[in-house]
Amino acid sequence: MAERVYIVLARKNREDPLHHIGSVHASDPELARVYAWKTYDEERWFEMVVAPRDAFHPVNRAEAPFDIRPETPEPTA
Amino acid sequence: MSEAPEIAAAADLADELRPSVRNLILSLADSKRILGILYAEWVLGAPELEANIAASSLSQDEWGHSRVLYAMLKDFGDEPDQLEHEREPDAYQNIEALDGRLTTWPEFVVANAIIDTALTVQLEALAASRFAPFRQRMQKQLEEERFHEAHGSAWLRRMGRAGGQARSAVQDTLGQRYPAVLHWFGPDDFYAAEKDEGICDATGGELRARFVERTAPLLQGAGFDVPKVDLEFSSWDPAARRTNRDGPDPEAVARARGDKNRAFLMD
Repeated sequence: MAERVYIVLARKNREDPLHHIGSVHASDPELARVYAWKTYDEERWFEMVVAPRDAFHPVNRAEAPFDIRPETPEPTA
Repeated sequence: MSEAPEIAAAADLADELRPSVRNLILSLADSKRILGILYAEWVLGAPELEANIAASSLSQDEWGHSRVLYAMLKDFGDEPDQLEHEREPDAYQNIEALDGRLTTWPEFVVANAIIDTALTVQLEALAASRFAPFRQRMQKQLEEERFHEAHGSAWLRRMGRAGGQARSAVQDTLGQRYPAVLHWFGPDDFYAAEKDEGICDATGGELRARFVERTAPLLQGAGFDVPKVDLEFSSWDPAARRTNRDGPDPEAVARARGDKNRAFLMD
């Protein structure tokens, strides 16, 4: 089974919104759940969810979701 | 579980039950200590980065559980530091299925999906115990074990889907280790007195049945045969829950005891 990227969302408290905290590579959702819980275990999360990155559809930009990084300045000589 | 009043400490246990409860705790503590060191050997070298991270986390969980369990034995007159650092392999009471190292990933997967689950089945039988220290300490361990079982199950299914060498290596490992797991639960009437007193909620035979009910559908669903096992307890030692007294791999024990690191202790 091909490996996919799963986006990990979590919140520390019930009243918090879910935040994008990272991603994991996994062959199926079952492993993605465990990998996410074990990789991002630095907090006592109230809730954590995972979803395949390709399940997200771009709305206002052409780039694939989650691929846009801050622009880095050109190095000066 | 019994409605009888709780048992607050080891001293409150019936004299005839105290040794078996102590041995039950030691069996779990040693099994989790050895499982932790065997998991730790896969912190690097697992098939994918996330699996390395998972192995690291599983290992730390098991060591945390064993530390809690060894500490419980102080109440029984044991010295936890001696238990953790000063015993030879033949004094360990771990499940025999963990005597051999996990030298391949299929062996890791079987240990994770099957052997770790056997320990969890035993923990679950103590979660509502009249013996308060069990009731107070099992819940956190069981919460963490949910993810151990999920990891093991997911990998077992993945190896089954892969077929070929991956599937046959898992099946071979099951043939080697599954019988020792079934024997670890003991004869059918093992822990009958402990069940009557509300220390645990199942006899050896009932624990084994729970374990099989849990693992057989997983194995069959993943395309594996459930090994057929003839149970034989004539030379089984109920105190150690073992048939042989060889103990786990000596190098694994040396690492679990921390021999090399303790040589640097200055105090």
